[in-house]
Amino acid sequence: MIYLELYLSFLLIGFTSFGGMSMIPLINDQMLSHGWMTAAEVADIVAIAEMTPGPLGLNCATFAGARTAGTAGALAASLGVLTPSLTLTLLAAMFLEKFKQSRLMGDALYGIRPACIGMIFAVIVQQSMANYAGPLFGFLSWPALVIGLVSLAVLLRFKWSIPKTILLAAGLGLILCRI
Amino acid sequence: MKDSRLSRALSIFATFLKIGCFTFGGGWSIVAQMQKEYVEKRHWLSDEELLDYTSVGRSTPGLMIGNASVLFGYHAAGVPGALAALFGIAIPPIVIMLLVVYIYDLVKDNLYVSRAMVGVRAAVVPIIISALLKLLKSGLKDAFCYLVAAAALALCLFTKMNNALIVLLGALAGLCWQEVQNRRDLS
Repeated sequence: MIYLELYLSFLLIGFTSFGGMSMIPLINDQMLSHGWMTAAEVADIVAIAEMTPGPLGLNCATFAGARTAGTAGALAASLGVLTPSLTLTLLAAMFLEKFKQSRLMGDALYGIRPACIGMIFAVIVQQSMANYAGPLFGFLSWPALVIGLVSLAVLLRFKWSIPKTILLAAGLGLILCRI
Repeated sequence: MKDSRLSRALSIFATFLKIGCFTFGGGWSIVAQMQKEYVEKRHWLSDEELLDYTSVGRSTPGLMIGNASVLFGYHAAGVPGALAALFGIAIPPIVIMLLVVYIYDLVKDNLYVSRAMVGVRAAVVPIIISALLKLLKSGLKDAFCYLVAAAALALCLFTKMNNALIVLLGALAGLCWQEVQNRRDLS
């Protein structure tokens, strides 16, 4: 059943990620391995999730669930990604004082953080192959490449906000791309 | 007592629904709004407590802000409060995203929209890079961390290993490494 699959998939994503961008590699992995989405559609999720209110992981779950199995799918996926908060964190809330002093969690996170960084690098490689592909030299799309470099510059050099950067990229896409 | 808990939970639900509508760019803006509403205006908790909730929320799996909401809600009004905070913060983004998906399906085959989407997709890698740069400092502290990051990258690119498994391996490596460090410090 697709709803159960979506729920379990996002339950797994929820329990093995720690919010924000660290979720992208896991979502990418699940979407591609189930054949629910292409890498280009995963890029759309990231962009759209950055432009709508709410936490990234929840936005991704709703979007992916709705694209795969309609409104019920969206609810199943969203509930999946919220389940760690409903279970583990609720338990932690009851034992907050003890949990705060737990060295075990900190030790585990010491290994999890760099693993997430490695996985994010892998997503960058995959997304680059999906989004900068085109006719130039047989494998590069120059408009996409130019837009990518401009976006990187405004984000890092001029500290633009992400929604503003996405709007600029969309505008440049309209001007530069002729499909 | 029970009544006041329930009415507190309802008031939390209403406030978090409102906060949920206006949060862009990840969890930190939500934390800022919680600070204004509950630390400064209503004095339900202190700055230190809010900081504790966010740091515990970040170190338990799942959405940081979902976790912080549950911790705060439980503190203010028990289990009903935790549920009220979590669903209050989650419902607006879910509803808005459902509308966006509906529009996305209508317009994505439009020529101009697909041109714009080429541009938007080209911006995603820079966005991920800018987020990654912020993570590097807290994530890569010593040679051990570089090794784990390199191993995770290689596993992702060259094997079909599930990413969830890579996270678990990272956790295991962290536990072993810290244990070794502790023993070395003792001896």
